[in-house]
Amino acid sequence: MKQITLTPKKFSSIALEFDELILDEIYNWDKADFDKYMVPIGNSRFPLNDYFNIEVKGSAQGPEDVKMVIDGDAGRVKYIGCKMSAGEIIVNGDADLQAGAEMTGGSLTINGNAESYAGREMRGGELTIKGNVKEYAGTSYIGEWRGMSGGVINIHGNAGKQLADAMSGGEIYVKGNCDILAGIHMTKGYIQIDGDVTRWPGGQMKNGTIVINGKLGRLLEGFESEGIVADPEVDGRQLTGRYIKYKGDIGVNGKGTLLLNAEKNRSLL
Amino acid sequence: MEYILKNGIVYDPINEVNGEKKDVMFKDGKIVDNVSDSAKVLDVTDKLVMPAGVDVHCHLAGPKLCLGRLYRPEDERRGVKPKTDITRAETGFSIPSCPATGYRYSRMGYGTVVEAAVPPLEAKHTHEEIIAIPNIDIPTLPLFGNNWFVLQFVKEGNIEDLAAFVSAWLKITKGYGVKLVNPCGSEAWGWGMNVHGIDDPAPYWDVTAREVIRGLAEANEMLGLPHSIHVHPNDLGHPGNFPTTLNTIDCMKDIKKNSEYRNQTIHLTHAQFHCYDGTSWRDVTSGVEPVADYINKHDHVTMDMGQVTLDETTTMTADGPMEYDLYELTGLKWANKDIELETASGLVPFIYSGRNPVHSLQWAIGLELALTIKDTWKVALTTDSPNAGPFIRYPRVISWLMSNQRRMEMMDNKEVHSWAARKSSLATLDRDYDFYDIATITRAGPSKIYGFEDRGHLGVGALADIAVYDLEPNNFDPSINAAAVEQAFGNALYTIKDGEVLVKDGEIVKVVSSRHVWSNVQGFEDEEKRVIEQIMPMFNKYYTVKFENYKVHDHYAEPSCEYKINASK
Amino acid sequence: MGYEEPVTDYDKIVENCTCAFCGSNCDDLDCLVKDNHVVAVRHACRLGASKIMEDEDQRLKVPMMRNENGELVEVEWETALDAAAELIANSVRPLFYGWSETSIEAMKPGLELTELVGAVIDNQATICHGPTVQAVQNVGYPLMTLGEVKNRADMVVYTGSNPMNAHPRHLSRYTTFPKGWFRKRGRYDRTLVTWDPKYSDTAKLSDIWIPFEENGDYEFVNAIRAVLKGKKLKKDVIAGIPTEDIYELTEKMKNTQFGALFFGLGLTHTLSKQRNIDIAIQLVQDLNKYTKWVLLPMRGHFNVNGFNIFMSYEMGFPYGVDFCRGYPRYMIGETTTIDLLNRKEADVFLVIAADPGAHFPSGANMHLVDIPVIQIDIHWGPTTELADIVLPGTFIGVETAGTSYRMDSVPLNMKKAIDPPETCREDEWIVTELLNRVKKIKEASK
Ligand code: SF4
Ligand SMILES: [Zn+2]
Repeated sequence: MKQITLTPKKFSSIALEFDELILDEIYNWDKADFDKYMVPIGNSRFPLNDYFNIEVKGSAQGPEDVKMVIDGDAGRVKYIGCKMSAGEIIVNGDADLQAGAEMTGGSLTINGNAESYAGREMRGGELTIKGNVKEYAGTSYIGEWRGMSGGVINIHGNAGKQLADAMSGGEIYVKGNCDILAGIHMTKGYIQIDGDVTRWPGGQMKNGTIVINGKLGRLLEGFESEGIVADPEVDGRQLTGRYIKYKGDIGVNGKGTLLLNAEKNRSLL
Repeated sequence: MEYILKNGIVYDPINEVNGEKKDVMFKDGKIVDNVSDSAKVLDVTDKLVMPAGVDVHCHLAGPKLCLGRLYRPEDERRGVKPKTDITRAETGFSIPSCPATGYRYSRMGYGTVVEAAVPPLEAKHTHEEIIAIPNIDIPTLPLFGNNWFVLQFVKEGNIEDLAAFVSAWLKITKGYGVKLVNPCGSEAWGWGMNVHGIDDPAPYWDVTAREVIRGLAEANEMLGLPHSIHVHPNDLGHPGNFPTTLNTIDCMKDIKKNSEYRNQTIHLTHAQFHCYDGTSWRDVTSGVEPVADYINKHDHVTMDMGQVTLDETTTMTADGPMEYDLYELTGLKWANKDIELETASGLVPFIYSGRNPVHSLQWAIGLELALTIKDTWKVALTTDSPNAGPFIRYPRVISWLMSNQRRMEMMDNKEVHSWAARKSSLATLDRDYDFYDIATITRAGPSKIYGFEDRGHLGVGALADIAVYDLEPNNFDPSINAAAVEQAFGNALYTIKDGEVLVKDGEIVKVVSSRHVWSNVQGFEDEEKRVIEQIMPMFNKYYTVKFENYKVHDHYAEPSCEYKINASK
Repeated sequence: MGYEEPVTDYDKIVENCTCAFCGSNCDDLDCLVKDNHVVAVRHACRLGASKIMEDEDQRLKVPMMRNENGELVEVEWETALDAAAELIANSVRPLFYGWSETSIEAMKPGLELTELVGAVIDNQATICHGPTVQAVQNVGYPLMTLGEVKNRADMVVYTGSNPMNAHPRHLSRYTTFPKGWFRKRGRYDRTLVTWDPKYSDTAKLSDIWIPFEENGDYEFVNAIRAVLKGKKLKKDVIAGIPTEDIYELTEKMKNTQFGALFFGLGLTHTLSKQRNIDIAIQLVQDLNKYTKWVLLPMRGHFNVNGFNIFMSYEMGFPYGVDFCRGYPRYMIGETTTIDLLNRKEADVFLVIAADPGAHFPSGANMHLVDIPVIQIDIHWGPTTELADIVLPGTFIGVETAGTSYRMDSVPLNMKKAIDPPETCREDEWIVTELLNRVKKIKEASK
């Protein structure tokens, strides 16, 4: 087992890019390797150890034996855990854009908030954000109709606009509230929002499931009610309580499922 | 600068050189028969030497491409390469950015690539992109098959004025030859409709594809253009379309050719998409046999393959209705661009897969065509890039043509669906192309089809456009080494263009501007002037730009490679 | 509007000039020139004419730099160019913004400079039709050239835009009033529809006005699409529109022969941003099952589309392209101007032919106060107040020829009518000079 600890010591308003520092690539780096490493900042590279105190303990046979801790604020560090396939990364603070983007395995935990594009095109592994996420969490790349296809995103706070655009697999759990158009263009997968949702979940969705346990502000006409269901089961997940079940989005001949907590959304009945 | 390319094994079909060990000499950009002692020696002992490649049909520059790039960032990020000291950054897989397009062709040993569809109104855009593409000469084919002036002249049966119009419009657009795409069908798409077969008139015009094809062919021959008409027939991609294809080429058989260099009066493009039998995608089978049989028996037609490469790609064509059909089939994002008075066009991303029965059959049909047409001078290698696959797959297509063993392996290993073997004759065709055949379908034949007397061969006076590949034909059996063939044709040992080494060991070592290749017809000036005056009222009323601003000004076509054509009226 | 005497005192007429104002790029202007000044412009609308004949006081005529007291003072071209090149060469996160009111010819060296130093290059799409481009990338782009509408359209819909004010000749030259090949009676052969919360000047001219509520656009279009698929609407009123009206409109759109939908920033800048366009595009795609429909965004500046086209063919991405790592990256929200400024990432800002001072959110402009700003433009504007170095350009389409792309992507070669002021330099020249000077600095430091 190996632990790499990066403790922030200097702030750069120009973001650091961490796409090269994925465990798959650096699991066998020792302290000297880190001290040599020049991290991309803007159009240049600067010594990583200008920005972090670096501590390396233990050794690893592969990325799965490594735990990397960014012990503090990484609000200007982009691409943390991007494309990672194994191992564990923990951020004891905020993370900047693209945290966990394209990850295929391993786990990334952000104990603060995450900027936009967290978990973009995720294919596997587990991304946990203890705070809030901005827009486009679990989304696809622009223009790409095959979005997040696997893995799990847990958001303990709130999620911003357009969560999980074009999601085609995997699971997203939001404990807090969620802004407009969650699951837009979704084709498969599971989204569960425990808090309230402003408007229009599932716009243009073709398939997959969105569960809303809180109150919904506005529903689209493209959804057709199929009545009330009690304690529904979704692909082996047992939900409890009464839900209004909708199919949609009709505008795209969608067969997606939207389950709305019936008690909290009486006005829709 | 003088060079001597020493001891290569040369394949130069136009000069009937078939695998001879010989030197190729060139000076100041041209092939010569002797050089001085100070000539620089490039030792290519025993390596495969050919004229640089000539591509008869590709979509590489212009509004459709640009729309594709603009709306497919997910494709653009697939081919990203950082800049080097010599090259700029590259992007894109099926629709590479302009610099990437030039580098990639150059790395494959190509020297000339035809842009196969240019809407005249946006020809400036095409030429702007050619300026941004390095290292290859680019002739362009303006679209005429649905042009309103053409429809009118054809309706009146006024071939002389039609010829003058074509001649003028080639000057205005800096175009090389005459392209027809789904004649009358793309005009029908202006109303969301299509035509079927060559005798179904365009709505409101009362003109049929047969009339347009024949009319433009007669005008083409009246002008004595170096290339014949270049036709994408009606009913592309429809099961049961082979009779339309046969009708299209057969309606041409009495048209008299007016060119000494080329043999054909019609070039049938991306034939693969036009050789389907059956009535639906369920019962579709190969329609190659009757088409190949016709081509084997007639000399007025040449074709290119439009080979499916089984990749995710981007379809784009001036056949607007076909693209909408494709959108309905796939549900993938549909773009469309109709051009006033001229044409339609559309784009849809497409994922060809060897697991899909139809795609596998399409894959088989392309190869079946190339293997059943006996005379390789009638065949040109294309993927209708990017429609059936991106041009960077040419080396792979070459490897398939050279190896029956590889084709059988693909069918046996289920790399392609069983429809490939069941619904086409591919599994029964054991022909293997040799290097001479490959040189014919990728350089000699294409340059003959286009009437390029100065390229596609290594005779004295030709442009010193040469490719050398890292294969030793005398010690190598391509029929059992498909992977090595693909690797070699994809990474030229040398690509020489106009006597300059642009690629060495598969890497770009020099970047030069591409030339805009066009036909400048001489001797029709008075007719052109008269016809322009005659159509000007209609132009001014129905176009939304001024005639003065419509044309491609000279500075958009620099550096230019102009062929003066003497029209023999 | 009072009657104005026609101008008769001029030396020459330069015909078929292209208007360098809105995205309609009208190319039929006749400039009346006297003593190397444009004294009148025939055929242009008031916006175009006043832009072309604009007041000379506002003109930037000499290179300037800010002195120790913070005042802009005249300097030699050499001094200004060297200082600008030095700033660019030494920056870590340079951002080159604007380009929508200059020519493709000026963009070329601009991109080369971007690649050389690893900058971000971006244009006004980032604050205007960026969401449109994103939507196009998500679901497609069924469009046409404007002549298709002129010759064929029997229904024209404007939404989120008010062309009568912003693109004054759009209706008269291209879409609604002109007589077309298949629409011989012009306006009488067409139904004009406006969807807009406001009763705009365009709405006033229209046969049908659909005032959906603010931010109701996505829901409204979603309902039409559901109706097209045969759904019976549940609510009586959707997004402020009675359901009967939605049924009726849907029927009309289905039964037209050739429909064209034009949309503006009113659609891209409401709550659901790019998704409004996304769903509008899908509606047009659906309608093509029944009849012919096309759409087009109402682009603002005369070459805003040109930049997107130029960048797409040169580098594969339309705007907001980041070269800091030596290859292009495109990620809205990360490589785009406002985000880089709001996050205080950019450390040098080159602005050409654009006025961020007037159009950026205040947070972004605050950062511009803190970093060096190099301005290339022809007029004094709010951005000049923020600029540290000012390089006076020339007026494309009036003083300098160049290429632009109309909103429907038709390329035009814009002519020149008069000579530029002697002390000014063409944009292309200025950017090329910067490029060459930065190259020298880079080579020297190797
Ligand atoms: S409509 Fe636009 S382009 Fe045309 S004259 Fe007016 S401002 Fe100029
Ligand atoms: Zn083609």
